[in-house]
Amino acid sequence: MKIVAVTACPTGIAHTYMAAARLEKTAKTLGHEIKVETQGAMGIENNLTESDIRQAHIAIFAVDIEVEGRERFNGVKVIQVPLQEALKNPESIFAKIQRSI
Amino acid sequence: MKHEISTSEQFVFSCSLSSGLHARPASRLAEVANEFAAQCVLTNLRNGMFANLKSVLAVIAADVRHGDQCVIRIQGPDEQSAHASLRRFVEETLPQCDAPLAVAESIARNTTPPRVLQAAGVECSFGLPVSRGIAQGKVVIMNGAVLPSSSDTSAATDPQLELQRIKDAIAAVHKRIQEKLDYQISPGGAAILQAELAMVGDVFLAEKLTELVARGKSAEQAVLATGEFFTDLLRHSESDYIRERASDIEEICLQLLDEIHGGERRAVVELREPSVVVAEMLAPQQFLALDRRWLKALVLEYSATTSHTVILARSQGIPALVGVQSARLLLSPGREVVVDANRGFVVPQISSSVQRFYERERRTLDRRQEALHHATGPISTADGKTLEVAANASSSEELLLARENGADGIGLFRTEMLLMGRADAPSEEEQFAIYAEAARTSAGWPVIIRTFDIGGDKAVPYLNLPPEDNPFLGYRGVRIYTEHQELMQSQLRAILRASSFGNLQIMAPMISSLEEVIQFKAAISQAKRDLTLKDIAFNQNIGVGIMIEVPSVAFLLEQLCAEVDFLSIGTNDLSQYFFAADRGNSKVAALASVCHPAFLSLLKDIVTQIHGAGKWVGMCGEMAADIRHLPLLVGLGLDEISLPAAEIPAIKAKISALRVPDCEQLLSRAIVCGTTKEVGGLLERAQASQTAQPLLTEELVLLGSTSQSKEEVIQEIVDAFYIVGRTDDRHRLEEALWAREDVYSTGLGYGFATPHCKTEAVSNDSICVLKLDEPINWGSVDNEPVRMIVSIVMREPQNSGGHLQVFSTLARQLMNEEFRDRLFRGETAREVMTLLAQQVG
Repeated sequence: MKIVAVTACPTGIAHTYMAAARLEKTAKTLGHEIKVETQGAMGIENNLTESDIRQAHIAIFAVDIEVEGRERFNGVKVIQVPLQEALKNPESIFAKIQRSI
Repeated sequence: MKHEISTSEQFVFSCSLSSGLHARPASRLAEVANEFAAQCVLTNLRNGMFANLKSVLAVIAADVRHGDQCVIRIQGPDEQSAHASLRRFVEETLPQCDAPLAVAESIARNTTPPRVLQAAGVECSFGLPVSRGIAQGKVVIMNGAVLPSSSDTSAATDPQLELQRIKDAIAAVHKRIQEKLDYQISPGGAAILQAELAMVGDVFLAEKLTELVARGKSAEQAVLATGEFFTDLLRHSESDYIRERASDIEEICLQLLDEIHGGERRAVVELREPSVVVAEMLAPQQFLALDRRWLKALVLEYSATTSHTVILARSQGIPALVGVQSARLLLSPGREVVVDANRGFVVPQISSSVQRFYERERRTLDRRQEALHHATGPISTADGKTLEVAANASSSEELLLARENGADGIGLFRTEMLLMGRADAPSEEEQFAIYAEAARTSAGWPVIIRTFDIGGDKAVPYLNLPPEDNPFLGYRGVRIYTEHQELMQSQLRAILRASSFGNLQIMAPMISSLEEVIQFKAAISQAKRDLTLKDIAFNQNIGVGIMIEVPSVAFLLEQLCAEVDFLSIGTNDLSQYFFAADRGNSKVAALASVCHPAFLSLLKDIVTQIHGAGKWVGMCGEMAADIRHLPLLVGLGLDEISLPAAEIPAIKAKISALRVPDCEQLLSRAIVCGTTKEVGGLLERAQASQTAQPLLTEELVLLGSTSQSKEEVIQEIVDAFYIVGRTDDRHRLEEALWAREDVYSTGLGYGFATPHCKTEAVSNDSICVLKLDEPINWGSVDNEPVRMIVSIVMREPQNSGGHLQVFSTLARQLMNEEFRDRLFRGETAREVMTLLAQQVG
């Protein structure tokens, strides 16, 4: 499965990046292809392009704050979870995805 | 209404003093008025209050505040000359009478205790810290100077006799204060006694007493009624400062009563163990009567930051809080309490958690002190060039402050304050006591004493210096020494005598020619001869130097260097004379910029010439106090800079981050700039690239922590940043970390937590790694306890060369099991740092 994700937390120093690392690792283990955009103190990194989003089966928002450029995801199925969920139990997010498709 | 031709003189003025017409300017005004027979009445047009200008008390009670319009009416035989004198005084001297009386440093009032104490359920009483420190002791409640009620006083006998008793009492109290004044060596203490002296000799006070006795009161009753009358008057003032003076009047009245009675009237509190004295307010005499061995701290209900007692507590290093509401009710006599006058509260009961908190706090403060002490002794730039960082001072209290802040000496000890705000010149003995104290306190440091710099903006009425059209270009500094030989000789003898107690040096202000230096040296030789004849010890080889304030000196350096041991650049005057622009005139002050390329070029030339002649050169003007200028000063190659003590730690920290070639290059580029603005831009860009400090140092790796709770861990991290000087505001940093924790726990599972924040409370982006001996609960996502803490603190606004990339890599690495294992297995700070350097960069 092709997945895109966005992580963002209030201070943008630590959890944004920790969650990104966690999602990438879990996806890999489960055999999914994932690209994670981080919206942290360094600004937006690893930008999701229009084609990334178009090709994705689903988008994960693991965020505690508003996602920047949310309109880019119009037309894509989005699952939004609190960022902590990506740290606490990332497998459950992927399980949810499986169920919803 | 019938119009009469007024025979009186009058004029209107607006009070320009920022604290209003308080005790000291009022006493100077009364002094002038008392020289004339004419009646002088001041009316405050704001509140309609009248005052006999000859009475300090009456003038204070008129509550003249900054900006108030007042009329002074003069009527009597010598009204014209009185008018001329008063008017001149009010217009010329009065605006300069406001040298502040060591105003207590204002510290924002804290309202929450540290989280560790909050978690332990400790309730604190908050106050305003006016003298810093932490102390523990048993509560002793003291009542302030309270006048006895008039019922238990003796009845009047013969009015003549009663009047005589009052006169005798006034004379005796006057004499007693005068005697104390003679032995007083701190200028702060002397100013307080001077104010008391003025009050006891006040005409209004005497009038009121006489009037009451004439109406059949006994001496004692008259003093009590007078005391009530004045304290009532002052307590209604709208100015805090004047309300605080009410306790001074009570004090004077108590002293008069003591004399009339022939015995002490007030309860003496005897301290027998480490004590915390709690009172509504406390008179200076009561404070001084307390046994210093046992007095550990002072807690006052009344919020008086400028009271004389507060000033004394500060100068004696007694921690003090004021404005602690209902302290006498909330604190139980005999109970052990902690006064935290760093944070601003009293802990009313010492539980084991309070004990533990303050034990850890003591260690933190000791280690911070130790770390600061590393900065004592001359500091070097990153590439090893030494630069002395000295303090400017004008009293022994400031000398102590300089020491605490890690000064390498006193580059400018001002003495003109000794002459100001008093009726006559200080005696040689009085001066000797102050210089000797400075020499002793300095314990081997160099202390450069600048001889009196009077004139210009510093007026001294009893020297009868003529009014001038251009005082800054006139009769000031070294130029008045020839005429005031006796004053000069007494100062030089006093400095020389004190030089046998420490490393004192003499410096002359406002030198513009070689002749002045030769005369100054001749005066020193004269003083030396006099002392030798009297067989009084002094340092024969005392260093003699001059200030560089007048541009002509820059073109005479070869000749001058042959005559003196050292030179010090006074940038304030040098820049205003160099650019012909008055610093005090806001329309032109900007022209006299010390960052102007022309001025920098002048400085460069001065330093080069002096070093060419093999002499020492320092800088003691305001230019040295501005941290932004530091790279320029290092580039100049000065031997020393001297600045206000409070700025020293920051300046020293910055020096060690600078490199001489970079600074020299910066200076060369600044000198060829066209404008001050261009230089400013250059400095800003340089600043951005010079402040970077490593993210992590060994002191920030805390392995084997014994903290027992999340609160303690965060406190320990904050303390670690405080010890190495990365934060001065622990409260703010702690709250910033907790603000993030309060959103949701930073426990990321696997036994790791990452408390982090963005804050202005740190000087640099920083990491702190802490490993606990025993795991604790952190509210982690996996509900497992935590043993490893990696704290990330980002400075906001960001310094350039920020560390965001490092932080984000570190955050990602913490998700990597192998990295966590290796971090956890790190046994030394070095290992941890190496790992972080390899994996995170």
